[in-house]
Amino acid sequence: MATREVISTGNELAAIAAVDAGCMFFGGYPLTPSSEVMHVISDLLPAKGGTAIQMEDEIGGICAVIGAAMTGVRALTATSGPGMSLKAEQLGLAQMAEVPLVCVNVMRGGPSTGLPTRVSQGDILQSKNPSHGDYKSITLCAGSLAECYTEVVRAFNIADRFMQPVIVLLDETIGHMHGKADLPTLEEVEAGIVPRKRFDGKPEDYFPYDCEHDEPAVLNPMYEGYRYHFTGLHHDKNGFPTEEIETCRKLIQRLEDKVALHEDEVESYEEFMMDDAEVMIVAYGSVSLAAKESIRHLRADGIKAGLFRPITIWPSPAAKIKEYTDKIKNVIVVELNIGQFHSEVQRAAARLDIEGLFKVNGRPLSPHEIVSKVKEVF
Amino acid sequence: MSSTKTLMRFTGVGGQGVLLAGEIFAAAKIKTGGHGLKTATYTSQVRGGPTVVDIQLDDEEIYYPYANDGEIGFMLSVAEMSYKLFKDGVQEGGTIVVDPNLVHPTDEDRKKWKIYEIPIITIAKEEVGNVITQSVVALAIANTMMNAIDKTALVDTMLSKVPAKVHDVNKVAYELGEKYAKEAMA
Repeated sequence: MATREVISTGNELAAIAAVDAGCMFFGGYPLTPSSEVMHVISDLLPAKGGTAIQMEDEIGGICAVIGAAMTGVRALTATSGPGMSLKAEQLGLAQMAEVPLVCVNVMRGGPSTGLPTRVSQGDILQSKNPSHGDYKSITLCAGSLAECYTEVVRAFNIADRFMQPVIVLLDETIGHMHGKADLPTLEEVEAGIVPRKRFDGKPEDYFPYDCEHDEPAVLNPMYEGYRYHFTGLHHDKNGFPTEEIETCRKLIQRLEDKVALHEDEVESYEEFMMDDAEVMIVAYGSVSLAAKESIRHLRADGIKAGLFRPITIWPSPAAKIKEYTDKIKNVIVVELNIGQFHSEVQRAAARLDIEGLFKVNGRPLSPHEIVSKVKEVF
Repeated sequence: MSSTKTLMRFTGVGGQGVLLAGEIFAAAKIKTGGHGLKTATYTSQVRGGPTVVDIQLDDEEIYYPYANDGEIGFMLSVAEMSYKLFKDGVQEGGTIVVDPNLVHPTDEDRKKWKIYEIPIITIAKEEVGNVITQSVVALAIANTMMNAIDKTALVDTMLSKVPAKVHDVNKVAYELGEKYAKEAMA
């Protein structure tokens, strides 16, 4: 597979990835530590005939993105935790109305305005359910500079496949670190683009929400003669509000099942030195980099440690986690929050003896801290 | 830590341009076939707040993007508060370069580390004639003292990252940085 070497930051790579994946619209509001995504894409999009708008706030940003996506284009917004809180309602609308979009969240310390320039992974649970109600969130998490690119590309394809928002989590460390990334070629990225489905029949036969129990809506671009109603209310096959009992049940069950019954299409994880592992470290995002380094040290000391790294965080690779935790006794989750993914590993493993190493002071977890903790608890 | 690894830390206050020096180092190392990574930490007080840039250069793949405290071989500091905050990351016997007009190491510090005093900002402002070039003066000092990267590769990378109209002034800044570093070590 041909690759190209790029020297850049995670945030910049996320912006470049969006444009390479065919994104033609960005709407957002700059928020540390995500601002460079907006700065870079504001340069790139107009040159391609696209549009980037700084809206009045984060809410306006995602509203504009929903509107753009309804015209058929790929659209991106980017923010950090406080912006995710503001965008939550509109993420719910996009889930309900089935509007594909990509939302990059470069995580910083929270809650509230928190620690604007400091690294955190405190938005793991938020990304599972940013809005109220039932739906199946899809969240990807970049664990290297290259993945800041590849996961944004993948997010656009998944968004169009499942017709819903896809969140891509970076964190301050990954977003701002500057180094080498080996990326797929533009030709390969372009060849991998699968545009969203569209209905080509007669406009009077078009019912966007009349789909199989596990399939997404087919929303044709607006202004092309295919008319439908757009709402956050429970709706019928035309999109018009309804409280009809069976229609309401089927709609929400379908929002769940369109993802739940096709999890294999989004599942992604990395296994690092897991072949002979007797200690399993679970980490993701920038912490997985510290974990990899710690594994070098642990193995030098004779401790057979390996890393399991979810790349698709939601839905979590629960079956794979269980496969490992059934075999490996010593399991530790390392993350920059107080156990947000730890609880998911406990659930997947059906075990309450999963160890954890957590940090929430805005500072990164170092390889030495992981080595010490592993030696202490196992 | 592998023997091929070079760990450097530049510290100052936000707005001084220490970030750029780190990017240049990382990019030059990558272009010469190795691995380079720059990671910055700053505060919400972006301009005027303490800033630290960690630079890792290695022939092997680098995972953890920050320099581990206690393993840093070289630090350069142009602000007192950043110096105090980050000096303890430098390994005993390691090299620290400070601007003596801005940073005042204690006698204890001088026993623990090799401390060189080079008036980086004054050199940039008065000898080069452009204070912005302080990051290039710093780059030259770091590379001369650490012998980290082939000079031509580093200068070429530096020139690719600054506007053409300031190429000459930055070349002058690099040469002056190198001269002062050699004099300090002599």
